[in-house]
Amino acid sequence: MGSSNIELKAGWSSSKTNEPLRPEEQEAIISVIRRNEEIEIAERQRVGRLVERVEKIKLHAVERGPNCCRLCGDAFGLLRPQRILCEDCRKAVCTKCSVDINIRYHNSERTREIWLCRICSETREMWKKSGAWFFKGLPNYDMPVRSASASNTPTTTPTAGGGGGGAVAAYGKAGAGKGARAVQSCHGTPARGGRIKKLTIRVNDTSSSSASNSSASGQSEPEEDQLDGAKSNTAGVVGATSGSAPGNGTANDSSDRQRLQRDESFRLRAYGSIRSFIDGGERKLSNSFFFGRQANPNAGSRQADGQDYDNISNASTVAQLRREGSFMRRSSVSSSWSFSDSSGSGNSATQTTQNPQQQKQQQQQQQQHCRDPLLGWLELAISYRESFHSLDCTLVRARDLPAMDASGLADPYCKVNIVTPEGHTKYTRWQRTKTVHKTRNPDFNETLQFVGVEPEELGNSLLYVALFDDDKYGHDFLGAAKVCLSTVHSTSQYRISVPLGAEDQYSAEAEMSQSWPNGKMLISLCYNTKRRALVVNVKQCINLLPMDNNGSSDPFVKLQLKPDAHKNKKHKTSVKWRTLNPVFNEEFYFEASPHDLNKEMLILTVWDKDLGKSNDFLGSLQLGAQSKGDRLQQWLDCIRLPDHFHEKWHCLASDNPTH
Amino acid sequence: MAKTYDYLFKLLLIGDSGVGKTCILFRFSEDAFNTTFISTIGIDFKIRTIELDNKKIKLQIWDTAGQERFRTITTAYYRGAMGIMLVYDITQEKSFENIKNWIRNIEENAAADVEKMLLGNKCELNDKRQVSKERGEQLAIEYGIKFMETSAKASINVEEAFLTLASDIKAKTEKRMEANNPPKGGHQLKLTEIRTKDSWLSRCSLL
Repeated sequence: MGSSNIELKAGWSSSKTNEPLRPEEQEAIISVIRRNEEIEIAERQRVGRLVERVEKIKLHAVERGPNCCRLCGDAFGLLRPQRILCEDCRKAVCTKCSVDINIRYHNSERTREIWLCRICSETREMWKKSGAWFFKGLPNYDMPVRSASASNTPTTTPTAGGGGGGAVAAYGKAGAGKGARAVQSCHGTPARGGRIKKLTIRVNDTSSSSASNSSASGQSEPEEDQLDGAKSNTAGVVGATSGSAPGNGTANDSSDRQRLQRDESFRLRAYGSIRSFIDGGERKLSNSFFFGRQANPNAGSRQADGQDYDNISNASTVAQLRREGSFMRRSSVSSSWSFSDSSGSGNSATQTTQNPQQQKQQQQQQQQHCRDPLLGWLELAISYRESFHSLDCTLVRARDLPAMDASGLADPYCKVNIVTPEGHTKYTRWQRTKTVHKTRNPDFNETLQFVGVEPEELGNSLLYVALFDDDKYGHDFLGAAKVCLSTVHSTSQYRISVPLGAEDQYSAEAEMSQSWPNGKMLISLCYNTKRRALVVNVKQCINLLPMDNNGSSDPFVKLQLKPDAHKNKKHKTSVKWRTLNPVFNEEFYFEASPHDLNKEMLILTVWDKDLGKSNDFLGSLQLGAQSKGDRLQQWLDCIRLPDHFHEKWHCLASDNPTH
Repeated sequence: MAKTYDYLFKLLLIGDSGVGKTCILFRFSEDAFNTTFISTIGIDFKIRTIELDNKKIKLQIWDTAGQERFRTITTAYYRGAMGIMLVYDITQEKSFENIKNWIRNIEENAAADVEKMLLGNKCELNDKRQVSKERGEQLAIEYGIKFMETSAKASINVEEAFLTLASDIKAKTEKRMEANNPPKGGHQLKLTEIRTKDSWLSRCSLL
């Protein structure tokens, strides 16, 4: 203690007599230490339970790969669980298996939402509750039942050494400080594995070094031997376990340096224990799924991470495709590939390609963040009747289509056209099947007839099928398939199954062919966390119905959030006179918690203002958790990513939901 | 098995001999007061479980002897403390002056981010006051810690002082764990933080 001079000057150490402890004093102190030990045992068991809890969750983790939730194994997709990257382990989890916490920056009032998987959030909780956050490492703990022996191993050895050898006998000030410091700061051994053994070996070095250290300081107080013996029970243990940093045990006379090193070793251990948590998971992952490996080298650079995950998910999809493709008829698929190759129309190429390299590239370009690139399968039968110049296309069934509503179902139908060698659609009117409701595996069994197809056309034309989800507020794309017609012969029916691909120019064309007599509306949604309100910005409408005699309308929009118990969640915009394409740009606030929003429905109705008689209805739009496709996506995005505006165009329906 | 709790906070009371550390602790743990002076032998502790934001927090409060001769033992308990109460006697100028020595003692022996608080005890003896409240406040500001005048005898501010210290520690816990330890906040810093973590991990695996 170099400060003794100053202490003397301040009169602080005037009574510095170093008078030895009397026996009754020793007794008293030892009894306090014993009482403390009881508490420490309870605490160790408590921390053990915390550790066990995390371990249990980890045991139940599925770790099926980056395209599935690491905990429950659910695959991600548009309306399947959303993929969330855990802030701590950077692994993909679903919303169910993760928690979002708000982080407040130290320097500002702003908060930021981050997601943690349940393992990491529990680990954080464990760090918080065990006090590991303070001591920068998990304290000593006893696992409830099975691994109790593991944590006992390091405790027994040093106790014997400390008590017997009398090495710790010199109870110098430095030594005392150190010992106790060690007592409290403890260690974070992962409860099993080879690492423990290493710790136990080093243990002795540390305790003896602290002993030599204290004797070096020279202030031996023999009367305290007994006390120290008792103390070394605890101090020794910790000194023992704390020495995990290599070279810690070599004679370090400077206590500061040793403390520094020990701090470092704490940190090392702390991360080691985290590592062991992650380690287990990773091993499992790499065993079950080779993509996990690919992720590892990139773990360091987080900026590139997002990209990496995309790569991986793509790769996995390709693999899945390949796997599933193996039991499908390969010839059909490759035939369409050969077609697009020969036709040379670059745009239509590679949709159903089997080449993983190309597919990967293409999918990367498409940047499919939310949609599962695997969009399902379509089975169809094609025949050609030469006498009628008619191509009969039977849409048999589709399988594993993407879900479009919150209950995980869709209302699919097909739109079919023929793509000419020049890359144009042959018919301006797309043929469509009936809608099969509430299923992701529809059986269409419907034959669409294309007349006026010349036999020579078959060789290099393409049948294009686009699947959409039927909804009164707009039809959402489900998947598209191209089938080469060169293999279609007049004699027999040609049956194939094709995987569905992503959107392209033809699907867009098919979508556009839909007429929306009621026009469209551009809506921007944002959940404002500060005001705890949903902000709805009614931006503009286009192609509204003319209702007045002058061929125009005087539109305004009514907004209502339902259910509306207090009748206060109603707003309306101003009236835009004599226009069919009004621009509103008006913002409205609906107070609601994000939780409530999951149950509410925003109803927007467009009206034509009439003076003197009742207003005419122009169109409606509903947004909420019960909507489908793009509407549902916008709604969910708005809840998931608050404080951001989510803008989308929606078609207006002709029925009035408020009636 | 004792009562369950969510957190265990270890607190420490330090200060000159006779300033009333034991009485403060006695008031907090038993809500009682004893006028006879019994000098604490070395160390002692008391347990009290409190509730903050629906979390049960077990406080293990270490009471230390103010006497110099026990200094060796008492400093041993600094390291494990998450919060330290520095106590002086408002009727004893000396005990107030010694606070800075105690602070230095903390800096040498306790964990770096230990939560500290300054208490001026015996504030019921206003007629014998030697240290004004302003001086106490000034000193607390100097060290950037909180300050309260307490009276174990009249039961003034004792409860509040411990609750304040506990909630400060809890707030720190939350901040530390939720912010993923970026002391200055911000995204950029966090990236590097994670990277160092990764390097630690990889080094660990080599062990």
